[in-house]
Parts: sequence; structure tokens; C-alpha cells
Amino acid sequence: MLKYIIPTMMLMPLTWLSKNNMIWINSTLHSLLISFTSLLLMNQFGDNSLNFSLTFFSDSLSTPLLILTMWLLPLMLMASQHHLLKESPTRKKLFISMLVLLQLFLIMTFTATELIFFYIMFEATLVPTLIIITRWGNQTERLNAGLYFLFYTLTGSLPLLVALIHIQNTVGSLNFLILQYWAQPVPNSWSNVFLWLACMMAFMVKMPLYGLHLWLPKAHVEAPIAGSMVLAAILLKLGGYGMMRITLLLNPMTDYMAYPFIMLSLWGMIMTSSICLRQTDLKSLIAYSSVSHMALVIVAILIQTPWSYMGATALMIAHGLTSSMLFCLANSNYERIHSRTMILARGLQTLLPLMAAWWLLASLTNLALPPTINLIGELFVVMSTFSWSNITIILMGLNMVITALYSLYMLITTQRGKHTHHINNILPSFTRENALMSLHMLPLLLLSLNPKIILGPLY
Amino acid sequence: MAAGMLGLCGRRLLAVVATQGLPAAHVRWESSSSRAVIAPAVIAPSTLAGKRPSEPTLHWQEDPEPEDKNLYENNPDSTVMTRTLLWTSGTCGTFVAYLPDCRMQERARREAERLVKYREAHGLPIMESNCFDPSKIQLPEDEDLLVAKRAIKSTTFSTMPAILPSPQSP
Repeated sequence: MLKYIIPTMMLMPLTWLSKNNMIWINSTLHSLLISFTSLLLMNQFGDNSLNFSLTFFSDSLSTPLLILTMWLLPLMLMASQHHLLKESPTRKKLFISMLVLLQLFLIMTFTATELIFFYIMFEATLVPTLIIITRWGNQTERLNAGLYFLFYTLTGSLPLLVALIHIQNTVGSLNFLILQYWAQPVPNSWSNVFLWLACMMAFMVKMPLYGLHLWLPKAHVEAPIAGSMVLAAILLKLGGYGMMRITLLLNPMTDYMAYPFIMLSLWGMIMTSSICLRQTDLKSLIAYSSVSHMALVIVAILIQTPWSYMGATALMIAHGLTSSMLFCLANSNYERIHSRTMILARGLQTLLPLMAAWWLLASLTNLALPPTINLIGELFVVMSTFSWSNITIILMGLNMVITALYSLYMLITTQRGKHTHHINNILPSFTRENALMSLHMLPLLLLSLNPKIILGPLY
Repeated sequence: MAAGMLGLCGRRLLAVVATQGLPAAHVRWESSSSRAVIAPAVIAPSTLAGKRPSEPTLHWQEDPEPEDKNLYENNPDSTVMTRTLLWTSGTCGTFVAYLPDCRMQERARREAERLVKYREAHGLPIMESNCFDPSKIQLPEDEDLLVAKRAIKSTTFSTMPAILPSPQSP
């Protein structure tokens, strides 16, 4: 595990000691090299996990998330180059340091064995993200967004700390590798109801669950592009990952405690998809689309069947790549017209045809076109929820239709039709932007050929 | 509208400058995609400011300044990008494709086939319907069961609905 942590830590002296004209090149190249080494994690055993030490382990659930995290850092650095052009070198280096720090905390979160260590790292990821949102965001609303983001997550996760300490006191250990074999059935009592709620609410807020999702549109919209990318691609999946881990300790209470949250998520995915149809702000549309996809993941994790877990894992990886790519595309629009309104830059296909190709691919994967992994994830979730209760097929089908509707709405509004005259002189696409989009799309398409690596531990 | 037209005219002027050279200005111009340099014979210190790029060797690695780059020329960055992408996808794809028996699935298939062959040869059923051996399960005595039932009932709260649809797994 140190083979990932130490190079990532060393990225910080690398940026601070680089010459001013080499900071982006050094950090992007070296983070890309580190992301290649993350593939070594895929050498998983049959039933066990890869246990690096007493502190770190990785199994088939955390491996794809780790690879995604480490893949995303060079992409974030590539995406941020333009909006930081006019800043002083010190601020650029500070920005990169924040991203590297966030990366470090994320790596340690996904591989933590001890659940208190996981909690500390989980909370620690909030700090660099908050700094990135509030310092480098573009509008004044970023302060409000940072506040919402911080306090929603903190309020949800403080009970988690109490619950973890309680489990440590009663069970004796919080080492996850021991706990998964030692977990006793949780009897039914009021205090255990609150224990269940305390454990799960942190991750529900993070995912986010529909009723607690208010922080997400604010934070995603006000964050700079690197902040949006890491929020959408990784930080939301922290919630899913945490839920998948902690539900092992909470059986059989989850069978009935999960009902209100399943209902909220089933209804919420339709509501947020419908909100997407009425959005004028491009980033806001993508943010609500994230809520909708994550609602599917919440339903899948809460019904706790093998297929739904496979679907949840696949959907998390697929959504990470797709959503991050959509934010990069929205940012390429924003950098040209300095507005997030969709209709201000429309008809882009005639002006930037290659970027239109990326828009098309991203929208197609967002609406879960076969044979992408988005579809595989959604299909597994739909099938398992159908066997859980037949009526959910109506809601899931409606959600897929509305998802297709708003994805195509976004594509058609930004790409098709006659372009407005005031965007006649926008800059052509930079190679950096095309590289960014292709580095998002390539793993997505390659994974469609071999999806078994992202199907999680139950495959 | 006027700003757009002005921008277009400005760009056309830049293209002309790039291909035909500056009309008569005393500034130095360096191409960022080739090694072409247009320099006046005598450079006065006062005219050094202007179109001289500050870091000539590193143009192609950062976003070009929109004021002094002709964006419609051939882009050498694309070569780097294409080669990076192909190398990345090739290496990572080869690595993933040739992972040795990831999560022991191939071994599991071979073991299953071996067991099936063995059981068919010996006339045994291919699989028993019991997951666990029933003889190894020890049920508690009836009195212990009643005590446990009463203990659970006293801790359950009465608002729990008696009939809940049980989750069915696929």
C-alpha cells in the first residue's frame, strides 16, 4: 500500500519544487504514472481480499474505486490548467497540493481496515474539497455551497463516530476483516434502530439520498472543474462504499429498517430526473443527474442481494467516469462563454465537431446505452429490484425513460440546431480537452469489453 | 456582433501575419509549430516587447495564448496525445487482459467440472439440495427455545407490523 501512498505524498514536494513552467507537466505526468501502478491491485484472490498490512486491505469492491481515484487525478490536473492560467505560481501549486492531499485521503479511505481509520479519512476528505470549492469557485454562491456541503456531511457523520465507538466497545474490534466474520445478528430494539440510523445516515447524506441531497447541486455547480470532477466521480461513491461495508454489521435489521430509504430513493430518482428536464443551468443538470443515478445505487445496496451489489458496484464506476466527463464537457463550454446557461452556447456541433462527438458519447453513456457498463449496472439493479418487488419495474422503467429524455435534451440543446452568432469566435477545442475526454471515454469503453473486474466481490 | 466580426478580422490578420510575415514592424516572431523565426536584422531594446514568446521551448505543452497563436495550423500536440492514449490503453488493456486467473474463476470452473465428472462416474447426485450438512446442525432444546422467545418478545416494540413482505433474493 505504501507503493501508492508514498508516491502520492511525494507529488507535493514535486509540485512545490518544480520550476514554474513545469508544474503542470510534472504533476500530470507523475500522477498518470502512479495511476498505472494501481492496476496491480487487480490481482485479487478468490474468496479473500488482498491484505497489505494490518492497516490496509483491498478487495474487489475497493479495487475499481481505487483505480478510478488514481486515474482521476491526472484528469483533474489536465482539466484545471485553463482556469488557473492567470493565477500566481504559488496559488497554482497550492491548488495542486489540495488535489494531491485529497487523493491521499481518498486512497487511505478506500483501503482502510480499521473502521475508525476509515471514518477519520472519510472526514478528512471534506477539508481539501471545501478549500477547493470555496477558494477556487467562480461565483459568490460558493461560500454558501461550501457551508451546505460541510455541514450536511458533518451532521450525518457525527452519529457514525458514536456508533463506531459503541460497536468497538460491544464487539471488541473494528477491524473490518475480523468484523465481517464476527458480525452477530442485531436484535430488534429501539437502541439498535438508532444504531442502524447512526451508521447509515452518514453515507446516505454522502450518496446523496433524495431528501438530503440539497448540498449536491450547490457544491457541484459552484466548485471549479477539478472539484466537480472529484465530487461527482469519487466522493459520492465513498457513501456507497461505506454503506456496502457497514451493512455487513447491521443484519438482519436492514430488512425492515431500509424501507423508508428505499421508498425515498425510488421516488427521488424519478423526481431528480424530472428536475433535470427543467434545468437551464448545465452543471446543475449534471448534478441532479448524479443524484438520480446514485438513488439507484442506494436502492441496490439496501435490498442486499448478490445481483444488486454487482449492479451497484458497476454503476458506481460507470457513473464516476460518465459524470466526470460530462462536467469536463460543461466546463469546456463555460471556459468559452463564461456562463453555465445551456442555451447560450448552442449549435456547437457546427463549430466544434470533435467536441460534439465527445458530447454524444457522454450523453449516450449517461442514458445507459448498451453495451456500456452503465447499462450493465442499471440492468442488474432493475432486475434485482423487480425480484424484490414487482412494482418497482414501473418506477425503474420511468426513470430510464426520463434519463434518456434529459440526456438527449442536454445533447440537442448544446450541440444541435443553429448556433448563435455571438459564439462565432469561440476558441477551437484544445488538444488538452480532447485528451481529457478521450481519457474518460477510453476506460469506459474498454470496461464494456471486460466488465467482470468492476462487478465487485459478489461476482 | 461587432465584437464577433472584430474577432474574426483579427484572426484573419493573424493568419496573414503567420504566412506572409509582418508588414514592417520591428518585432521578433517565432512559430510554435515549426522552427520558423522572423527576426529583424537589428533588434533595438525598446522593440523587444511585443510578440516575443517568453518560453519558446514549452509552447506546445500548455494552452496557447490566444493573442499570438494561429489556431488553424497543424497541431503537434495531437501526436503526443494520440500516442499517449494508444500507449496507455494498450498497456493497461494488456495488463488487465492477461491477469492470471483473476479471483480464481478459471480454477473454480475446472474444479467444478472435475467434481461433476467424478460424481457422474460414481453414480452420486451432482449436487445435494442441502447447503449445510443437516446432521451437524444442533438445535437447542424446547425449553431453551421458549425462554429465548419470551426474551425476544419483551424487547420487541409493539409497533412493528406483524406482516412484512420478506425480501426474495434472485
